[in-house]
Amino acid sequence: MISDIITILIVGAMISAIYALIAIGFTMIFGVGGILNLTHGALLMIAAYAYFVTQPYIGRAGGVIVGIVLAAVASYGVYMGLVRYIEENVVITFMATIMAALALQEAMTMAFSQQAQVLTPIMPGSVAIAGTRMQYDQLLAFVFSWVMIGMLWYYVTNTKDGRAILATSMSERGAIFTGVDLPRVRRQTWLIAGAFAGVGGIFIGRLQQTSPEMWLEPLTLAFMIVIIGGVGSIKGSIIAAYLIGYIETLTVALLGAPYRVVVALLIIIAVIMYRPEGLYGREYLE
Amino acid sequence: MSSDTVFRIDELRKEFGGLVAVDDLSFDLQDDEILGLIGPNGSGKSTVFNCIMGIYDVTGGSVQFRDTDITKLDTHDIVNRGIARVSQESNPIPSSTVGENIDLFTYPNDIFSLTGGASQAEILDIARRFDLDEKLDTLPGSLPHADVRRLEIAKALATEPEMLLLDEPFAGMNQAEIRELSDQIRDIHAEGRPIIIVDHNMKGLMSIVDRVVVINSGQKIAEGSPEEIANDETVQKAYLAGAEVTN
Amino acid sequence: MSNEYDRSGEPVVQRFTREFLGEPNRYQIASAGVALLALLTVPFWAGQYLYVFALASIWAIFAMGWDIISGHTNYISFGHSALSGGAAYTTGVLVHNVNPDMAMYITFPLSILAAIVIGLLFAVPTLRLEGPYFSLITLLGVLVLTQLVYIYGEYTGGELGITAVSTLTYNLTNLYYYTLIPMLLIGAVLVVVSQSNIGRILRAIGENEAAIESSGIDTTRFKLWAFLMSAITMGIGGAMLAHFYGNITPSTVLVVDRSLEMVAIAVIGGMGTIAGPIGGAFVFIILRDEVLTVFGSTGRWLALWLIVLFFLVFLRDGIFPFIWSRIGSIGGGRDE
Repeated sequence: MISDIITILIVGAMISAIYALIAIGFTMIFGVGGILNLTHGALLMIAAYAYFVTQPYIGRAGGVIVGIVLAAVASYGVYMGLVRYIEENVVITFMATIMAALALQEAMTMAFSQQAQVLTPIMPGSVAIAGTRMQYDQLLAFVFSWVMIGMLWYYVTNTKDGRAILATSMSERGAIFTGVDLPRVRRQTWLIAGAFAGVGGIFIGRLQQTSPEMWLEPLTLAFMIVIIGGVGSIKGSIIAAYLIGYIETLTVALLGAPYRVVVALLIIIAVIMYRPEGLYGREYLE
Repeated sequence: MSSDTVFRIDELRKEFGGLVAVDDLSFDLQDDEILGLIGPNGSGKSTVFNCIMGIYDVTGGSVQFRDTDITKLDTHDIVNRGIARVSQESNPIPSSTVGENIDLFTYPNDIFSLTGGASQAEILDIARRFDLDEKLDTLPGSLPHADVRRLEIAKALATEPEMLLLDEPFAGMNQAEIRELSDQIRDIHAEGRPIIIVDHNMKGLMSIVDRVVVINSGQKIAEGSPEEIANDETVQKAYLAGAEVTN
Repeated sequence: MSNEYDRSGEPVVQRFTREFLGEPNRYQIASAGVALLALLTVPFWAGQYLYVFALASIWAIFAMGWDIISGHTNYISFGHSALSGGAAYTTGVLVHNVNPDMAMYITFPLSILAAIVIGLLFAVPTLRLEGPYFSLITLLGVLVLTQLVYIYGEYTGGELGITAVSTLTYNLTNLYYYTLIPMLLIGAVLVVVSQSNIGRILRAIGENEAAIESSGIDTTRFKLWAFLMSAITMGIGGAMLAHFYGNITPSTVLVVDRSLEMVAIAVIGGMGTIAGPIGGAFVFIILRDEVLTVFGSTGRWLALWLIVLFFLVFLRDGIFPFIWSRIGSIGGGRDE
């Protein structure tokens, strides 16, 4: 019994850390431009396949770096090549980004077939923690997640560019008044969001699956987490990621994996009914 | 002519998080009156209007219209009870013409009504009042600023209100346009509609309002005739602190 | 003065057509007539494509069902196949588990009811709020329903689905008219709704919801009403699809890709117009099943999604409103 609880605590923490990685980029992009980027899940897929393809040639660390860089570049590309031209219309952007994700899914299917691929462990081996056997890669995901959150926190509080991002996500009008270069902020945000998605994608691809359809589930997770956390709030997203991560772990332990999405729907309906602004959402001032 | 209180705000309070935007504000409106609600920028005037119209949920207090409590009603219910508001931002439907925009504001709130709403002649009448009759087929995007503002008032009148809230109606207008609009507001009032006008600048209001309520930081700091207010020291100070002189 | 607001004494019939159809010129009327005639006579000029055209008719119903809520109000649903798929599965589960010979006059209404119930689960919590909540719920909703089909595989047949549903007919010409006529009837109703006050209010909600609320319109009620019309339409189409295929699998009637196809059809045809999505369905299905097959089974999908992207970026209004206004300017249209 006790050991079950410990297992849930540890497994939940590992999976939540990855969810936080996925949700942060999604919420940042919403924060600075009011855009829900539905290609976000496809960026994860790009990183996972990049690792899959390059790792045999340039090694595991090299594969990870290429995956992160490629996801960041792809994110930047989605913004510069598509979203930039349509972002004034939120609804069109919403639909266009999901169509772009579908196109990427088909492109990946053409390149690698529908078959799910198995990724080489980034750090092979496993260790028993309090009786729970964890792969090193799960621990690595946890460490990566918090290191990246720490780096992001430093960036948005201690650098000029980072502070501009933070200011824009608080008040776009206010940021423009204080001389923030909005297009530059948006470009940087998409780049950073892509890098976060890249890290998340490599771990999801490694620990769950790497297939052309792997984009959808992380996308819905990010979407849910951001609504629960309060759209635009990074702190809210991290907390909501852990909330969802643990609830999922519990659901899998008690009801079985197929019920994950059912429980998720019930939670999101409850949030929408009773606290639609989310944990850290704000009511708008005039 | 005897006058009755048609509208009353009682101890109205609105907080955003910990921030108090409207602080236990009370005032009333007589049915033959034009009331000016003035205050420096950020003093909570528009928030008061948003609370009246049901756009914000109020934190405390009540809003009464014709002896009915309308505090908790939805915006559309309040409009259908006879209060129309002309907001500070112009927000016409961009893809519809001026005429269609006015027409839209006459549609019945009925999910089975396929063709209700004002007749073409009625729309023409409303448009004529604001010199928009030549522009009924124009898209709002190609109208000059003053016409867009007139369209907003025309739309509000199309809902056949018994009382009107005007939020900074003179913003961005030149002297001639302000004079013309003032006349139109007087006409609307003369048809038996009490009006509340919000503005941060007293000067434009002086000639048309009967009474003024001044608020600062969400609190009422003065109330009286336009002359009294113009000479009130508290008011002068509040405006100086807000770096805006009433001149 | 000569604007369209001086029309005292206009004949009733003329006013009626103007209210509901705008003021089409003779070329527009002619082309709409030709298109309708072409659809009604497909067996005589495109007999080999009857199956594809019949399928396109059903997809036209789905696209119209999506359009009356999402295309008009801009509350984008990514899960409309949960409504149609829910209806199709209701038909299938009844036939498969209760009585293989259950009559259509029982299964059909129950299927439509299922679509309405699923729809209300989506709509009631979310449609009173502005923002992306509705889209998230619809997306999750279709994923949940798909998952439930697998979880209750003993009743639904799981991945392989249910094959016991009776097919409408094996005669392709009859099959075509069985799908075309209901589609045109639904289309006629929805075009009238779309061109009436209700449609204008719904489109105004899509452009500026706060503004239309301040005209005294209860926007939540109108959104729910539009969604109810949508759910009924999806229910009819879903039950028809079950009988069209004669079998029901998650991948043919339910998965989220089917929902996104509905979005794609409405975008290509012209969102918010009802008639546009009808045409869009024929364009999309013919592209998918006949033209783009040259790129192979995966390549055609890539090509399709890229085409939809092209429309979203360069021709947001869709192809049919574009053609309609082009034809409208042939006779030297008024000022547009």
